[in-house]
Amino acid sequence: MIQAKRKTGLIFFPAYDWEITPTHPERQERLLYTQDQVLEEGLLDIEGIHEFKAGLASDEDVNRVHFCVPDVASRITHSHSISAGGCIEAARLVLEGNVERAFALVRPPGHHAMRVVHGARGFCNINIEAIMVEWVRKNYSHIKKIAIVDTDCHHGDGSQDIFWHDPNVLYISIHQDGRTLYPGTGFPDEFGGPGALGMTVNVPLPPRTSDRGFLYTVENLILPVLDEFKPDLVINSAGQDNHYSDPITHMAFTAGGYARLNELLAPDLCVLEGGYSIESALPYINTGIILALAGVDYSYVREPDLDPDQIREDPKVLDYIQELCDALLDAWRRRDEVVSSPNEFAERQRSIYYDTDGISETQNETLRFCPDCPGAFKIDTQASSGYRVLCVHIPRGACDTCRRQGHDWFDSANGRFYAAYLQDMDKDGYQINIL
Amino acid sequence: MILGIDIGGTHTDAVCVKNNVIVATAKVITGADLVDSISGVVRGLGVEHGLLKRVVLSTTLSTNAIIEKKYTATGMIVSAGPGIDPRNYFLTDDFHLIDGAIDHRGREYIPVRKDQVLEVADNLKKNGVDGVGVVSKFCVRNPAHEKKIHSLIIDNFKYVSMGHRMSGTLNFPRRLHTTYFNTAVMPIQERFVYSVKQALAELGIKTSILFLKADGGTYLSSAADRLPVETILSGPAASMMGAVALRKNTHTTLVLDIGGTTTDIGILIDGVPVLEPKGISVGGLKTLVRGLKMLSVGAGGDSHVFITNGNLCVGPHRHGPPAAMGGTQPTPMDALRVLGEFEQGDLNRSRESIAGLARELGQDSKDVASAIVTKMVDTIQKACDGFIGEVNSNPVYTIHEMLHPDVVRPEEIMVIGGPAKNLQSYIEKAFGMKCVVPEHSEVANALGAALARTTAQITLLADTQLKKLLCPELDIDMELPGRYTLNDLISFGTDALRKNTTYLGLTDEIEIDVVEQQSFNMVKGFSTTGKNMRVKLQSRPGIISLWGNK
Repeated sequence: MIQAKRKTGLIFFPAYDWEITPTHPERQERLLYTQDQVLEEGLLDIEGIHEFKAGLASDEDVNRVHFCVPDVASRITHSHSISAGGCIEAARLVLEGNVERAFALVRPPGHHAMRVVHGARGFCNINIEAIMVEWVRKNYSHIKKIAIVDTDCHHGDGSQDIFWHDPNVLYISIHQDGRTLYPGTGFPDEFGGPGALGMTVNVPLPPRTSDRGFLYTVENLILPVLDEFKPDLVINSAGQDNHYSDPITHMAFTAGGYARLNELLAPDLCVLEGGYSIESALPYINTGIILALAGVDYSYVREPDLDPDQIREDPKVLDYIQELCDALLDAWRRRDEVVSSPNEFAERQRSIYYDTDGISETQNETLRFCPDCPGAFKIDTQASSGYRVLCVHIPRGACDTCRRQGHDWFDSANGRFYAAYLQDMDKDGYQINIL
Repeated sequence: MILGIDIGGTHTDAVCVKNNVIVATAKVITGADLVDSISGVVRGLGVEHGLLKRVVLSTTLSTNAIIEKKYTATGMIVSAGPGIDPRNYFLTDDFHLIDGAIDHRGREYIPVRKDQVLEVADNLKKNGVDGVGVVSKFCVRNPAHEKKIHSLIIDNFKYVSMGHRMSGTLNFPRRLHTTYFNTAVMPIQERFVYSVKQALAELGIKTSILFLKADGGTYLSSAADRLPVETILSGPAASMMGAVALRKNTHTTLVLDIGGTTTDIGILIDGVPVLEPKGISVGGLKTLVRGLKMLSVGAGGDSHVFITNGNLCVGPHRHGPPAAMGGTQPTPMDALRVLGEFEQGDLNRSRESIAGLARELGQDSKDVASAIVTKMVDTIQKACDGFIGEVNSNPVYTIHEMLHPDVVRPEEIMVIGGPAKNLQSYIEKAFGMKCVVPEHSEVANALGAALARTTAQITLLADTQLKKLLCPELDIDMELPGRYTLNDLISFGTDALRKNTTYLGLTDEIEIDVVEQQSFNMVKGFSTTGKNMRVKLQSRPGIISLWGNK
């Protein structure tokens, strides 16, 4: 008999009746072999590991994070509500004390979905972690500071975007260098918005980084940063495409490495993101992660074809990673020394491409850079799919001035826009004004 | 005329059915020798033995052997490869780990070594082991390793069972335990069948013998010899099948079998009992044995009633019979006796036992008696709520099931077992639901055994990329023809099930259901390379047609 050291919940939702297209990496078969491995290993029979049913995220849960254009129903399918609902259930289990840790092994993924949603990017429509985070903050007021550690091979540009101005959510992403992989972002100088500097940390790793490089980064950068940040909740955005067998990336991480990473990180919650080596990697990585979360020996979990000598990284790669981590840790510790926007309003213009749906979007974002609160912001966005809308966000803990500013923006939207949207986090309110 | 015998821990019950009428019933105390109990109860029926066309036995033989560890030393030869260390699941020093590994698609990547198998077999033989279980991880995806080990040792051991024949379901630790228990009880079952046949022959009964299984189905003793582990926990299944036979409608029915010590809770949906999805547990270990979903709660007619910190407690233990029947402690039956719901036994002894409690509580005897019954029924009701909650909490894996959940809501309650009639009104009141106590409820267990249909389940897997078709339970491992569809696989399985009725221990009266069917496109790069199809078929549990559709 095996006994888990920590009571661990598993929400498994493989969505066996959902796919982007029949041959797309994000297809019905994706978690089939993972399920086979989990069942054959008898993981769900281990004393202290329990499987729970997924739930359904509501439109309110989605609107707490996103501005779906024109509305939620047009942008998502039931599979997305269940995937996000699975994450919410996982969080509920942990926060209600039913389990110590939980893993939402769900699909479709979400970390490329940004605050404004005109369509699907990087196989993602809505950001399932972000929806979970906002649901947690709404329902459990004692959870103030949250850290998301994104270990997907692709930069989680959606999660970064959503929490860019949030001083209470630390988003750390380790990923394959954006010069060599989609979405082409996630560089060290992307460090958080002017009111949240250091709350975004990007660690672009060179192609072919293997276990030593990843674990070095965790031990020498991520853990020290988390130690200082002292989050109330740690989430691993557990993409699995850093694996040496992944067909669409170029890293060399192993199942054993992923397990060790989770042992070190000790997250309260894990959420599956990408990972498309569905036969050769996912079954073993997921087994490793579940065992590591539960505190059960994973040392015999390995891929059948693993040859560590073949995939070990070049010493030069390790030197590079060491320098990068040193520089990032130094920058993070001196984050308060950076002088940010001297003006009341900080603006940024961006072009965003929705590769999955082939939509181009241009955004003009204006933040009221506020000394008293995280600051209200508005996004004027226009997409090639035809909609131009104004999105206004009044953050949690907004001061009166920012609250008034947010309402002014929302009220003054004119006929140039299809609609104006207002997200009011403290009131948990969401308004749409069709113009 | 058919005969059902349920050999329980305390009593052995027998029921004789002709057409759709119960023509005789008998009850004896279960003795140390189960064969004697069988002969005794059959004699007690007073029917003409020569007319019996079907005899079904439900026994605690293998359950008790496993729980009390009353079996001879049994060896296990196990290959696993990477994953959780299989030694975590080894129960004795006769479990041996050897080389060999197969992945989830059934591809071999570490072969089995002949010299190593022979060495392990030699050691087991030297230790006086007669029976060996052979299990490899993912054998249900490729049984080659188990078959190779089997062929290397079969001449040296009397009893050998292979994991893939137990069940086609994925779960290596459960397979280890199932195969171990199966091998361990094979000699016990063999001796038992031999003695029972002899004893019945002496009584002039020459028909074939069937055994009741945990899933509420039966199988012929030919299959029971091979897979005796399936007879574990057939007792509660017997009662559930009795409830199926005695029901008058196809409502969603909560079934309560109230015994002396415990109440067994089960549920019928459309007249079919619900199964435990992963397999049942015995002796504290989880197995792959298909069994009914049931919950046993420590509240029965003979539950010990006592007072702790001024609170009245009922159960969960039994401390002998009710005071009315010569026991020393008050029980719910004594409370019912005082309330006038129950007529047997010594009323004065019941009164005295309840009066003792009433004095301690400073309350009226009748009120205390009433409180005892209420407390017992409450305990059962709470257990039922938990049970139904669990039935409804099974995870689902498709959007369709998520959006259209099959929520189970009982519409009525059927109560069987000794105190059923006496508790009917209390249960009806507590649950706020119609409560039925069928006629013959006291022999529902033996009736269930007598009338249960033969059942079996098979698992099929077709992998058009590897051009492979597998059915572990029937040991089919063949090359797949060019084009193959899910319907082809279902027809193949249906034929295979019909062709193998003797092997599976089935009689002719079977109805085949598709329990599961899934088909996945397999993709490499961005093009489809094949289909991965999975099917589970069963011959449906139920009641034989002779009983009629009552």
